[in-house]
Amino acid sequence: MPLDEEAVAEIYREHGPMLRRVVWRATSDPNRVEDIVQEVILRVWKQAPEAENLRAYLITTARHLIVDQHRAAGRRPQQAQLVDMAESDSALDRALDQVLVEEALGRLQSNHREIVRYLYYERLTVAETSARVGVPQGTVKSRAYYAVRNLRVILDEMGVTR
Amino acid sequence: MTTGSDDLHVLLGAYVLGGLSDHDHRVFSEHLRSCRQCQTELGQVSGLPRLLDLAGPEGGPHLSDSPVAVPAPLLAEPDDERVATLLREVGRRRRRRRAWWSVVAAAAAVVIFAGGAWLGPQLFASPTPTPPTTHVAAAAVAGSQVRIDIALVTRGWGTQLDIDCEDMPKDGELALWVIDRSGKATSAASWRATPSGYSRVTGATALRPNEIQALEVRTATGRVLAAART
Repeated sequence: MPLDEEAVAEIYREHGPMLRRVVWRATSDPNRVEDIVQEVILRVWKQAPEAENLRAYLITTARHLIVDQHRAAGRRPQQAQLVDMAESDSALDRALDQVLVEEALGRLQSNHREIVRYLYYERLTVAETSARVGVPQGTVKSRAYYAVRNLRVILDEMGVTR
Repeated sequence: MTTGSDDLHVLLGAYVLGGLSDHDHRVFSEHLRSCRQCQTELGQVSGLPRLLDLAGPEGGPHLSDSPVAVPAPLLAEPDDERVATLLREVGRRRRRRRAWWSVVAAAAAVVIFAGGAWLGPQLFASPTPTPPTTHVAAAAVAGSQVRIDIALVTRGWGTQLDIDCEDMPKDGELALWVIDRSGKATSAASWRATPSGYSRVTGATALRPNEIQALEVRTATGRVLAAART
């Protein structure tokens, strides 16, 4: 198999599942998901970027493609809706960020993820989390530290730099 | 438990996520005023709460107890048929390209292909000062009550081992042994037992995290107190 085909298959195998989840959550249209994912991979492969961060590049490309399609769909019925369009664009951006944050939480190691869940989402104290998880408070603190650092790395890697 | 000055920086995590006791919060706020490194790190992660809020009050599907309803076809791993469709499209597009471009593309494909294999670790190594970390909880062997958590931090020179132990023997010497894939054990840290039975020490090994098969905490006489497989 020629090398570029292998490269495309490799990207697809490695990043396809993540892209499909993201695209599905952002578009809620199962019929378009596979098309969009394949198009994203083909574009990234075709532009052959020397991307330092392939995952972020794929996600950004997916974002552009979804936004473009969204705009095209919005233009069809009526063209003069620029204000609405901008609003729905930012809503879409927010939806994509939401999906990416959820995806990032999913990629966090499970014992880091549970610390984020208890401390942040369930608003438990370190002492309560220690009791809930069954590890010393010192461990909760150090896991919280690594959880925060790793989450930042994962988000950076996905191109969520805010 | 009291917090030594070396341990202060780890409070950053719970400072950002919430949950510190009033005492720890005060101690860390005080520390933050004078610690440049913690100020920098806080700057890098202080945007996280706003991002975490995007995932909703419960943090989204990966944190909730009920699984998400994802259409079944989306859950399937990429199968050969889909890859084949994609590759047919690759072939179609490639034929449309001019000859000079294919040379460029082939060179670029090497970059992408190499990227697929190498990007992961490099990405983790470069953008922030904290490299990927795996936590393992060492299981106490029969007759031992110890509680041990070891963080494996990937470093350029090997693996840093942050060891948190509780309910340890109150006297004698303790050591962390690292066992590689061939079964060879080397000592990666040794320390003296504390009267409280709690200690937090850092060890080091030249092995990379994926080269470590197991970790054991032993007494000076070689008795294994707890063991973990990675």
